[in-house]
Amino acid sequence: MSESTAPVIEVDAIVTRFGAQAVHDGVSLRVGRGTLVALIGASGTGKSVLLREIIGLQRPSAGRVRLLGTDMWAAAPHELDAVRKRFGMMFQDGALFSSLTVAQNVAVPLREHTRLARATVDALVALRLEQAGLPPDAGAKMPSELSGGMRKRAAIARAIALEPEVLFLDEPTSGLDPITARGFDRLVRSLVDDLGLTVFLVTHDLDTLLGVVDRLIVLARGHVLADGPVREVMAVDDDWIRDYFSVRRMADREPR
Amino acid sequence: MPATPWFSIEQRSGRTTLRLAHAWRLARLPEIEAALAAVDLPPDAAVDASDLEEIDSAAALVLLRAVRRGQDGRAAPPWQGLSATNRRIVDQVGAHLDALAPVPAPPRPGALARFGCAIADLGALLHGHLSFLGATVAALAQVAARPRRLRLRELTVQFEQTGLNAIPVVALVTLLIGVVVAYLLGLQAEKYGANIFVVDGVAIGATREFAPIIVAVILAGRSGAAFTAQLGSMRLTEEIDAIRTLGLSPQQVLVVPRVLALMVALPLLVFVGDVMSLLGAMAIAGPMLDITPAAFLARLREALDQRHLFIGLAKAPVFALVIAVIGTRMGMTVGRDTRAVGAATTSTVVQSIVAVILLDAAFAVLFQALDL
Repeated sequence: MSESTAPVIEVDAIVTRFGAQAVHDGVSLRVGRGTLVALIGASGTGKSVLLREIIGLQRPSAGRVRLLGTDMWAAAPHELDAVRKRFGMMFQDGALFSSLTVAQNVAVPLREHTRLARATVDALVALRLEQAGLPPDAGAKMPSELSGGMRKRAAIARAIALEPEVLFLDEPTSGLDPITARGFDRLVRSLVDDLGLTVFLVTHDLDTLLGVVDRLIVLARGHVLADGPVREVMAVDDDWIRDYFSVRRMADREPR
Repeated sequence: MPATPWFSIEQRSGRTTLRLAHAWRLARLPEIEAALAAVDLPPDAAVDASDLEEIDSAAALVLLRAVRRGQDGRAAPPWQGLSATNRRIVDQVGAHLDALAPVPAPPRPGALARFGCAIADLGALLHGHLSFLGATVAALAQVAARPRRLRLRELTVQFEQTGLNAIPVVALVTLLIGVVVAYLLGLQAEKYGANIFVVDGVAIGATREFAPIIVAVILAGRSGAAFTAQLGSMRLTEEIDAIRTLGLSPQQVLVVPRVLALMVALPLLVFVGDVMSLLGAMAIAGPMLDITPAAFLARLREALDQRHLFIGLAKAPVFALVIAVIGTRMGMTVGRDTRAVGAATTSTVVQSIVAVILLDAAFAVLFQALDL
């Protein structure tokens, strides 16, 4: 990997308004290569909106987003096409194509964007399913036949199909039981450690934050309220952050 | 051997070494794969990755498969010169490689099996419709016994949507049908100087057959499809389950108002259709056949026996019941994925139209036998 020190994600003074309501009022953040960053915040603080703005699905009212060096809201269409092959996105409920099997879902980006032989695509699909922790027979199933956890794994397998440099996850552990959720955390951590991905996730799951995340960004009242390692963020003097972590303080568990 | 930028092969004292170079990335994988396929690696080939800049997991998969092709599970010489980052990726892929099984292709049943399944599905569908019809009739009977159970508000909303709002499209379509039928009959009747009998043809044809069928088909597409889409999305969002857990009957809350509304709306719309198609016929009869409106109406009184009108109107509630039952049942039994709602809606329209036409044929035979 070209060990450039340029940030992978740069968000500059983002402002988002829905009518009279300002969701973001000058949000700025930077994410470097090879880190696992989590974005948290109360409901309605625009975490998912920010995620959609970073990957170019929703235009911010003002401000600038650079993803892998490309300005997502000023770039030419062909530049956007190029950058879309370099990041993966896992939507909250997987957003798997319901008319295709899991294996066909994972094969979609490979068939669309590479000229690989059929046998190689099949082997790569099997590798992706394996990397996402799915049994091989899951590949032949339709998305509607999968449990919530398996659907999310299938969505990860599709998101990493093209060897992205950055992976975005929207609420990766929501709706999963704690054991499945911890397995998912380990999977995400191994993507960062073994494959060198940068992972940016939106979550509410304290166990994810305390277990595997390198860095935490807290969004509140339209701004970045805190940004740093989990332990530092926990020490920030703010009512919302105190309330957020109070359950854990009572349980007196050490973060990593 | 053609030179490729990604690797070279060294032969030294009987040992083959695959020397990797540059970046092995998914974007260049088709070329890398073609180059690898062109060389014949002995099973004991060593791998030297000192010059390998980077490798991603897709490329590692292709490389590992090529290197292991001839090994038959024998221990391979260790790879030299892998950087820490690259080693992690190669090791991770290598660990998965043994477990990789090809994804089984989805089963493809033969033509006979598909035919059998289609017949069985059709049987199950009809059986389901019949028991749903029974449940609906039972629910209607409960409402008849205790009229206060009727949800008047939902009924009026449904009546507005299925009945009142359908008047413009029904009026337009039947008006044009009246014009077309009168024109076609007029072309033939003119040859025999039997112009006035066009009124008989249009009057009996429209009130007894065309208007009920056309209005029923319009409502199958308009209201039947809407029922399926409404109830289908309610099922997806678990609203129907919520109705059940609140101790209410979905049959009472959702199905009965829709069935009743359609059973009232369809006969009224058929009457609108009767009037409009006769108006259409009258409009073209003047200029084309020299039948003045007064002559048209006079002939209409003679030609149109009331029974034709009533037979047409009597068929309408039956069509309405069938359309509403198919529409609501397809919505309430839709599968729990987004694609299913669309498929069920399409199926509702096709089923309703076929059912309406089959029923109409049955009615024709029945009335023939009854000499009506």
